[in-house]
Amino acid sequence: MNIQFKKGVLELCVLSMLFKKDCYGYELVNKISKNIAISEGTIYPLLKRLKDEGFFTTYLEESQEGPPRKYYKLTDQGVETKLKLEKEWHSFVKGVNKIIEEGNRDDQK
Amino acid sequence: MTKNEFLNQLKILLKNIPEEDMNEILYDYEEHFRLGMEEGKSEEEVCASLGDVKLIARQFKADVTIKQAERNTSTGNTFRAVLAALGMGFFNTVFVVGPFFGIVGILIGLFAAAAGIIVSGVGLIIALILAPVFPSYIAMDVNEIFAFFTSIGITCLGLLFLIGDCYLAKYFYRATVRYLRWNIEIIKK
Repeated sequence: MNIQFKKGVLELCVLSMLFKKDCYGYELVNKISKNIAISEGTIYPLLKRLKDEGFFTTYLEESQEGPPRKYYKLTDQGVETKLKLEKEWHSFVKGVNKIIEEGNRDDQK
Repeated sequence: MTKNEFLNQLKILLKNIPEEDMNEILYDYEEHFRLGMEEGKSEEEVCASLGDVKLIARQFKADVTIKQAERNTSTGNTFRAVLAALGMGFFNTVFVVGPFFGIVGILIGLFAAAAGIIVSGVGLIIALILAPVFPSYIAMDVNEIFAFFTSIGITCLGLLFLIGDCYLAKYFYRATVRYLRWNIEIIKK
């Protein structure tokens, strides 16, 4: 998949996961790499950039299994952006599907 | 590659970025290794799934560079913009406002000249028409047909003059707008 395209989509994935609940980095990376083919290491730069841009904040929380983990929490700006990107994504997918379907119909003629 | 090799290489590749950013990045990958190994993965496996360390470093560097560039615009460039605006203000008052009013004056003069020529042409026609009616007030010593065509000629000349003035005024207006826009651009930078 095209790398620029993937970056934009990953942003939406991260925001969507954090929309549901606060997560720690490993959790985010694991879930994304399970569903989308991407090198896990390149998700951390994305997390840092989104944090620097103010989409979420971080905090450390103790875990039962050992040292504390760094959790990510969406800010109001992050929630707003998530809703905006989600809307854009749906209309984008709809548009692409329409074009693909029309293309297939022409082929059958 | 082992965990330490990965982290050291990352550290070397990121040596130019602020320490605060560097510590944050290294912490994230350390935590990633820790949790991956808690799940039973080996250091090599975690490294493999993380991917190319050079690619990762390049991404961090690009983001940090952009962040610094944005921060720079807010301090140094604002000061420079204020200086530019002040400088432009001085330049404008001394070198632009004077010539501007000068040219406006010349344009007004040219319009007045056109109006004067038109009025004289029209006046001559009126005088020709009224001469037979008020012979005691208006004395026409010239050939009337010659005077008639001359008056039409003068009126047309005045109208051409007026049209020329309109074009000049339009060009001047455009040049002024363009100059003002350029001013705004300079101050914005």
